[in-house]
Amino acid sequence: MAAEAPRRRGRRELAPGRLGLVMNLPTLLTMALVLAYPIGYAAWLSFHRVGPAQLRRGEFPWTGLDNYVRLFNDPLFILSLKNTFIFVAIVVVVEIVLAVAIGLLINQQRIWTSRITRVLILLPYAIPPIANGLIWSFIYSFQFGFLNRILFTFGIIDQPINWAGHPETALYAVTVPYIWRTLPFAVLLVHAALQGIGTELHEAAAVDGASTWQRFRHITLPLLLPIIVVILVLRTSFAFTVFEEIRAITQGGPGDATWVAAWYSYKKAFEPPNDIGLGAASAWVLALIVGALAIVYVKTIYRRVV
Amino acid sequence: MQRTGATWSRRDLLGVGAGALAAAATGFHDPRRAFAQGAPWAIAPKSKVDEVNFVVWTYGDIYTKIAKKFTDDWGVKVNATISAFNDHPTKLMTMFAGGETIDVSQSSPFSFANFIAQGLVEPLDGLPGAADYAADFTGFTKQVAIHGGKIMGLPYFSAVWVWNYHQDLMDKAKMEPFRSYEELLEQCRKAKKDGICQYPILWVAGVGLEQLPGTWYQMTWNKGGTFFDKDGKHQLGPGSIARETLRWWAATFKEELADPESLKVLFTASAKAFGAGKNLYRGPNHHYGLNIANDPAQSPTAGKTKVWGSPGDGRTVGVTHVYFLCTANRDKEWAWKLLQYLGGKTKDGRYTQAENLARDAMLGSGYQSVMDSDVIKTGWAPWGDVPAILEIWKKATYLGEVVNSMYQPWHFPWSDRLNIEVQKCLTGQIDADRACDNLIKAIDEVKRA
Repeated sequence: MAAEAPRRRGRRELAPGRLGLVMNLPTLLTMALVLAYPIGYAAWLSFHRVGPAQLRRGEFPWTGLDNYVRLFNDPLFILSLKNTFIFVAIVVVVEIVLAVAIGLLINQQRIWTSRITRVLILLPYAIPPIANGLIWSFIYSFQFGFLNRILFTFGIIDQPINWAGHPETALYAVTVPYIWRTLPFAVLLVHAALQGIGTELHEAAAVDGASTWQRFRHITLPLLLPIIVVILVLRTSFAFTVFEEIRAITQGGPGDATWVAAWYSYKKAFEPPNDIGLGAASAWVLALIVGALAIVYVKTIYRRVV
Repeated sequence: MQRTGATWSRRDLLGVGAGALAAAATGFHDPRRAFAQGAPWAIAPKSKVDEVNFVVWTYGDIYTKIAKKFTDDWGVKVNATISAFNDHPTKLMTMFAGGETIDVSQSSPFSFANFIAQGLVEPLDGLPGAADYAADFTGFTKQVAIHGGKIMGLPYFSAVWVWNYHQDLMDKAKMEPFRSYEELLEQCRKAKKDGICQYPILWVAGVGLEQLPGTWYQMTWNKGGTFFDKDGKHQLGPGSIARETLRWWAATFKEELADPESLKVLFTASAKAFGAGKNLYRGPNHHYGLNIANDPAQSPTAGKTKVWGSPGDGRTVGVTHVYFLCTANRDKEWAWKLLQYLGGKTKDGRYTQAENLARDAMLGSGYQSVMDSDVIKTGWAPWGDVPAILEIWKKATYLGEVVNSMYQPWHFPWSDRLNIEVQKCLTGQIDADRACDNLIKAIDEVKRA
C-alpha cells in the first residue's frame, strides 16, 4: 500500500506542456472574456446596422461592408486619422527623448535630490486623465490661464495666446497634457533598464578615455534600445486611442482641428443618432492600424536589437 | 341655464351649499387642495413599486427637493441619474441600449425627434390629466411636446434668447446700448480703441446643440432669415440671410472685437466669464444666464449685467425643453406620476417644480398659467429687469420655425457638422460661403446616414 501511493501520484503528473496550458487557462479565459469577446463583438457589430433600439431588441440587420465604405468616404474620418498620426508622432518622439533624459538624471546616485525627483516624477501618472484635461484647460484659458499669465509676467508675450482655441495650435496644445500625464510610465521603464546596466562598463570605457557622450552613445543607448522599443510599441498603441484630453480640453474643436480617431468613434457611436455600427467600424480600423504598427516595430527594430 | 344678473335659482343655491360643505370637509383652509383630492394628479396608482427613477442633465440642485417631495407624498423612493447637458443623450441612449429601466427622462428640443424615432418616448394621450396639461401648454411647448398630433412630453422649462451688456463698462464708455448691428460694431471698435475692453463682445459659441448654433439661429432670425422653409428646403444658399449673418459674425472675430474665449464657452461658463466684467456685450443667449452673472456668490460684478433686446423689430427665438415618459419604464402609472412631479403638478395640484425653477433658477415655464402668474414676476426679480425680459418674450418665436430640421432625426448629426463648419469659419480657416456650401452638402449626407 505504502509503495503504490507515490506511483499513482506519478501517473497523475502532467507533462510540462500540458501543465503550462492548465496554468495559463484561467488567464486565457479571463482575457478571452474581457478582451477577445468585446473585440470580436465589435467586429461583428461593424458589419450590421446597430442603434440603441436594435441593441435593446437584439435584432441587427446585416449591412456587409457598408459601414466601412461610409467610413472611408467620410472626409472627417480621414482628417481624424491624419490628426491622430500627427498626435502620435509628436507624443511618442517627445516621450522617448524626455524619458531617456529624465531617466539618466534620476539615475544619478551621487545627486541626493534625484531620490526625491524619482518620487515626484510619478505624480502625474496618478492623476485621472479627465482631471488632467480639466487642469490643463484652466492652464490654457485665454484670458485667465496660468500659462499666458506666466509668459506675460516674464515678458515673453505681450498678447495672450489662444493655445487650445486656435486651429493652428490646438492639436499641439493637447499633446502637452497627454505627454505630461503619460511620461512617468516611460521614465519608470527607462530608469529600471538603467539600473540593470553594470557600472564596470562605464568605468572601463572611462579608463580607455571615452567621453561622457561617447559612453552614452556606445554603451548606454544600445543597452537601452530593447526597452525603448517596448516604450515605442506601448506608447504608440495608447497614444492612438487618446480621448480624455480631447474631451476635456477641446471637444474636437475649434472646428475639426482636434478631431482624432477615438473621438470620431465616440461621437458616431455614443451621440444621436448613435450609429454604433459605424463607430465599431472606425474603432476596428484604428485597432488594425495599431496592430500593424506594432508588428512593424517588432520586425524592424526589436529583432535587430535583441 | 343662462344666468342673468344676480338672480339665483333654488337649484343653484343648493349646488353651491353642497359644494361648500364638501370643501369644508376636505380642506376648507386651502381650496386648491380641496379640488386636488379628486384630480388626476392626486390619485394614487393602483399598482405597487418599490422605486422609480429619472435620467436627466444637471442644473443646480433642482432635483433634490422634488424627489424628496415625491417620496414624502407617495412613499416611493426616487433614484436619479444626472449627467452634464451635453453628455445626457449619450448617457440616456447607453442606458436604453443596455436594457436598463428608465421611467422618466428629459430632452432638449434638438434631440427629441431623434429620441422619438429611436423608440424611447411613450405617448401620453389618454393618461389621466394629460389633456388638461396640454390645454395649458404655451405656444413653444405645443411645438415641442406635441409630435405627430400626440402628446409626447411635459415641459421642463422655456427660455428666450436675449443680449446682455455690462453697465459699468457702458458707463465708462459713455454709451447707450446698441439699436442696430452697425451701431454695435461702431461701439465695439470705439470701446476697444479707447481701452475700455480688449474684446468687447463675448459670444456663446462653444460646441453644442444650441450654444454656437443658437447664436447663429437667433441673429439670422432677427435679421429676417430662416434656415429651412416650410417645405424643409434649406435657406443657406448664396445671398441668403443666414450666410450673410455668418459672414458678419466671422468679421467680429477677424477684427478682434470678439473674445476668442467665445469659441469654448457654453451658457453657464459664458455667464460666469461675463461676470468678470471684461466684455461690453454678451451675444444672444438664454435669458436665465442673469441668475449667474448677477448672483453675488458667482460674480464679482453682480447686478451689473443687464438684459437687452435685439435690434430692428426685436424679434428673437425661444425654446422649451421637455420631460418624457420612457418606453423602458417599470410601471406606466408610476412613471406618469413621476413625470408629473417633474413636468406637471404635484399631489397638491400645484406646478411645484415649474414654480421652483422660476424662483430658484430664473427659468421660464412651459405652462401659460405659470408664465402669467406672480411667480415669474417675483421669482425673477432678484436677477434682472422682469418687464424687459417679458417684453422680449412676447417677440420670441419658437426655434423650430427658424430651423425646422429640429423636427427631423437627422438634425442632431447635422448640428455636429454645423458646429465644425461654423467654428472653422469663425476662426478664419474657411469663409462663410464655403461653410454654408459644406452645410448644404451635409444635409444630404446626414439624411442618407
